[in-house]
Amino acid sequence: MSDSQAVVDGTAMAVFETYIKTTPERLWEAITDPAMRAKYSFGVEVRSDWTPGSRYESSVPGVVEIATGENVEVDPPHRLVQTFTALWSDDVKAVGESRVTWEIEPVGSSCRLTVTHDHLPAGAHGEVYGGWPMILAGLKTLLETGENLDTPGSLMYAEASGWER
Amino acid sequence: MDDVDEVFKALADPTRRRLLDELFARDGQTLTELEEGVPMTRFGVMKHLRILEEAGLITTRRQGRSKLHFLNAVPIRLIHDRWVSKYAETWAAGLSGLKSELESEPERVEEEDDE
Repeated sequence: MSDSQAVVDGTAMAVFETYIKTTPERLWEAITDPAMRAKYSFGVEVRSDWTPGSRYESSVPGVVEIATGENVEVDPPHRLVQTFTALWSDDVKAVGESRVTWEIEPVGSSCRLTVTHDHLPAGAHGEVYGGWPMILAGLKTLLETGENLDTPGSLMYAEASGWER
Repeated sequence: MDDVDEVFKALADPTRRRLLDELFARDGQTLTELEEGVPMTRFGVMKHLRILEEAGLITTRRQGRSKLHFLNAVPIRLIHDRWVSKYAETWAAGLSGLKSELESEPERVEEEDDE
């Protein structure tokens, strides 16, 4: 999304944060359950057994492969560290492997969710980390209102995959 | 005050919008770097950054001795979902479809073959 990011130790990072009125357990479920994930990620499902060291695959089944990687650290419902290789286009594939850290911290009756996308090469293609605001906004809306986003952008892959909201 | 009120208030100032633009152009800047982009005292910039941080529009990270500021577009996306897409996105989607149709080369309309 932006032209460039902070370069720390030769790699770039981006940080996204939102407060969601929910419990850490419910938030963890929304991040790791394929059907819930699909509801706020344009139909993208994430499949894994969520054990430390396991692999995960995210895709719109039968339509497009989105990303793959390893679950480096799995500490429900607090922290998930994943390697991330984007797969949806040649441009993003060229970026190679980066790292995504999900952190859930209870604050009053809400949770602070922080997604840190780092280990990006300097000048990495903005699409690789540019989708997080849309995903986190959709996740907050889903958990707080129970409503799925139904704007045209959020339904991008939904029709193609026959995915039902 | 509602979260959304804080975001609109934070955005209702040209210096703060400028600071967000600076971070959009180059994310993860220090206070000293951000100061160079705006004609204002260090104290003034700090005050604006604090308002942006309280509204959730920027996040900060300590990196050794320096504090880095990151653009956090999630609140802007929430405003987009609630206040922009409802009114504009259907039209925008239609218009961008029209644009690509108008800009596609005429022979591509006749020839269905892949390149």
